[in-house]
Amino acid sequence: MSGKSKAFTKEEELLLQDFSRNVSTKSSALFYGNAFIVSAIPIWLFWRIHLIDLYSSLISFVLVTIASTYLVALAYKNTKFVLKHKIAVKREDAVTREMNRKLAEDKKMSKKEKDERILWKKNEVADYEATTFSIFYNNAIFLALVILLSFYILRTFSPAANYTISIGTASGLLALLSTGTPLS
Amino acid sequence: MNRLIVLCIIAVTTSLALAETCQKPEVSASAYVTEDATVLTNIAFTTQFTLKCSNGAKGVSLYAEVEGKTLPAVRLSADNKYQVSWTEDIKKARSGDYNVNLYDEEGYSALRKAIRNGEDPSSVKPLAVVVLNNPGAYLGPWINSELLAAFLAAFVTYTAFSAKWKLLS
Repeated sequence: MSGKSKAFTKEEELLLQDFSRNVSTKSSALFYGNAFIVSAIPIWLFWRIHLIDLYSSLISFVLVTIASTYLVALAYKNTKFVLKHKIAVKREDAVTREMNRKLAEDKKMSKKEKDERILWKKNEVADYEATTFSIFYNNAIFLALVILLSFYILRTFSPAANYTISIGTASGLLALLSTGTPLS
Repeated sequence: MNRLIVLCIIAVTTSLALAETCQKPEVSASAYVTEDATVLTNIAFTTQFTLKCSNGAKGVSLYAEVEGKTLPAVRLSADNKYQVSWTEDIKKARSGDYNVNLYDEEGYSALRKAIRNGEDPSSVKPLAVVVLNNPGAYLGPWINSELLAAFLAAFVTYTAFSAKWKLLS
């Protein structure tokens, strides 16, 4: 009885993890690290290409980078949440097949444990793919928006205003778009 | 007062008559054309030449005509060194050879008369012709870097969108 309830709790935990918007610490660190790099890259663009003075606008660089890091990380999380289920469903068959083949030799393992392991693997695969794809997807949109805004739409603005507005708009738009309901 | 005017007229006419005309003119020229149109608003043409006359005439007043424009040639020194320069809009400046037709006082008045009467200016024979070559201004690369960057970013975004669409469909 105790074993059964324990297994159930584990499954429940997995399900909870599967459906929650919260991400693991490792995933969170990856998201914030990536978001920071992507938010800081445009500083180089504005410093060397748009010729902003680095020291006089240090405060705006720091503030905008922090805000943008937060917004981009939020977009990563939301996109990951939306994608994870879809990916889990898409990869279900392949993961089940592979795990069954791998666990076929182990005769001692119960059906329940096998299912559990498959579920766990499915969750891991979906989590990994959703995390990496979310980073790629949001980075691509963010950088494309920054280039479009800073070089074309805001080209007549002063570099300092151009920086704040283009990074702010790009990250804000990214966070906003990620909260939208997924296409079904 | 009238006397003074008459005296002046006499002085001017005699000085004009005394100004020597250049016989068998020969010019040796060097030229410079600005080429980097990425930092310029106008293309500047300048040519410097030395006029040699078989009769050793010096201090001849010269005028130049280029592409229907008339300009005075500036005398740089006593040994018949002259300079002609002008600027042109980047869009209007064509590449290739420009013929700088040089006229002396007499030829220049004939030329102006021809232009005034609507005659063909080329009917007036120039004293000498200096050929100035414009190799063509550099207007920057065909595709500027921000356009290329925008295209690449758009392409990557497109692949990201299509991959997401595939995952969600």
